[in-house]
Amino acid sequence: MNAPAIIAAVDLKKKYDDLEVVKGINFSVEPAQCFGLLGPNGAGKSTTMRMIMGLSDVTEGSLEVFGVPVQKMTRNIKAKIGLVPQETNLDPDISVVENLETFGRYFALPSALISERVPKLLEFMQLTEKARAPVMALSGGMQRRLVIARALIGEPELVVLDEPTTGLDPQARVLIWKQLLALKKQGRTLLLTTHYMDEAQRLCDQIIVIDEGKILDQGTPQQLIDRHVKGHVFEVQKPDLAKSTDGKWDQEDIGDSVLYFVRSTQEFIADLPENAVYLHRPANLEDVFLRLTGRTLREN
Amino acid sequence: MQMPGTKYVLAVSGRQYSVWKKFIGSSMASNVANPILFLFAFGFGLGQFIDAMDGMSYLTFVVAGMIAYSAAFSASFETTIGSFTRYFTMGNWDAILSTPVTLTELLMGEVLWAAAKALISSVTVLVVGWVWGGVPSLSGALLALPIVFLASICFACVGLAATAYAKGYEFFSYFFTFWVTPMFVFCGVFFEISRFPEVIQYIAWAFPMTHLVAAIRPMSAGLPIDLTMLALHSAYILIISVIAFVAANRKMRQRLYD
Repeated sequence: MNAPAIIAAVDLKKKYDDLEVVKGINFSVEPAQCFGLLGPNGAGKSTTMRMIMGLSDVTEGSLEVFGVPVQKMTRNIKAKIGLVPQETNLDPDISVVENLETFGRYFALPSALISERVPKLLEFMQLTEKARAPVMALSGGMQRRLVIARALIGEPELVVLDEPTTGLDPQARVLIWKQLLALKKQGRTLLLTTHYMDEAQRLCDQIIVIDEGKILDQGTPQQLIDRHVKGHVFEVQKPDLAKSTDGKWDQEDIGDSVLYFVRSTQEFIADLPENAVYLHRPANLEDVFLRLTGRTLREN
Repeated sequence: MQMPGTKYVLAVSGRQYSVWKKFIGSSMASNVANPILFLFAFGFGLGQFIDAMDGMSYLTFVVAGMIAYSAAFSASFETTIGSFTRYFTMGNWDAILSTPVTLTELLMGEVLWAAAKALISSVTVLVVGWVWGGVPSLSGALLALPIVFLASICFACVGLAATAYAKGYEFFSYFFTFWVTPMFVFCGVFFEISRFPEVIQYIAWAFPMTHLVAAIRPMSAGLPIDLTMLALHSAYILIISVIAFVAANRKMRQRLYD
């Protein structure tokens, strides 16, 4: 028998008046795993996260966090969760250290414990040199790192990360990835939403892809890749396409070229005309995401 | 519903205190300068035309009014412009509500700090007024401070209720025009409200400010104190505080949770 799930959603629904934004989803997040919640804008990710944080009422179905229904979320449970919100809402009136100390007091931690944890968190997020700096003096990447450090002040068992690396440079993202993996090694559970599929592929043990309030599929990144995009992608420019046209190949027309998703590369290359112009690369989670949720723009 | 915890309420007030400490110079300078300017205008200027009001020197009369008004203005400002900025512009409340602090504790913390700041303002006016010679009974004035603090809680709660309904900063122009300015004009700060037509007097007594002024003025003037009236004034102020806090809490819950 596995350890009890950290988060368990059964037929979870959320309605705003007549508009149903989460339409009966089921998932469970196991301890010490990084669980990815992927989907285009407006898919229902943020609403689901708000319900997990107890900030939004569950309309139907059940949602349990640490084995307790979110409607009955107590202070002790809230203290086990650290949130990294999408908007960087640091306190601009006080310094880096004071931001962490103040948050420690919101968790009712004793002063001695706060002073013990703050330098460690600064070190962990490589902000030690900026300890006394005002928040406004930090770069975007540093502010993001501070938001993550702040979420860790209560040593949470569950860290909820809403697009933690959006808008950051590659150096900052790599550092954050490394530290998130370190958190997982410490046995903490991570719930992650992101629009960067490389990020999800690198960090997540389990992924659900949701769109229009429904789960389209779930599994490990590798399972999803195998299931939907087979392992290899050939982007072949028109008009010299694969000779077999009898539905032998799993393909998708994207305009000037056609994408083929194939398992056996040799067999496919043999099926291409001599003068075909193509690009071959391993399939990734981005291919899965686009196949599942389509290529049309959202937010229109 | 979780019982509010003192530690969590103080954590919220503590954050405000630590910001205030950084700007203590400018904050105290305006706290001291403001009443001096007013006392100068009303004590020297207007005071020369008025010998006595309500059985005391006009200076004594105005100092008591100013003690009350500085508390009202300070507390009102803190939980409107101040709180709205933290809630709406800075996202400070969203950050706090992701921690074990509950909304009720957050609002209590806001009110507690606003009232503390208002009390600091009042004490500054009291000191300036005393040095100026407008406080015949210093001990009476000090005994009035708990009532000033209670009323400051009330002003803070009403401000917070306005914040809960505010869609933008423009909304507060109504609040200041129809709530704060009348407290300055109609509630007995500069002259006895008995000089108004009766209808206006009834309206004036609806404002907690009128009750605060009426409660503390005899105390700082060293006049005999009617304990029953003192209790009634305090009870009215307390009732308005509770109503405003419940309204603020309810409306804010609707806005922040869905």
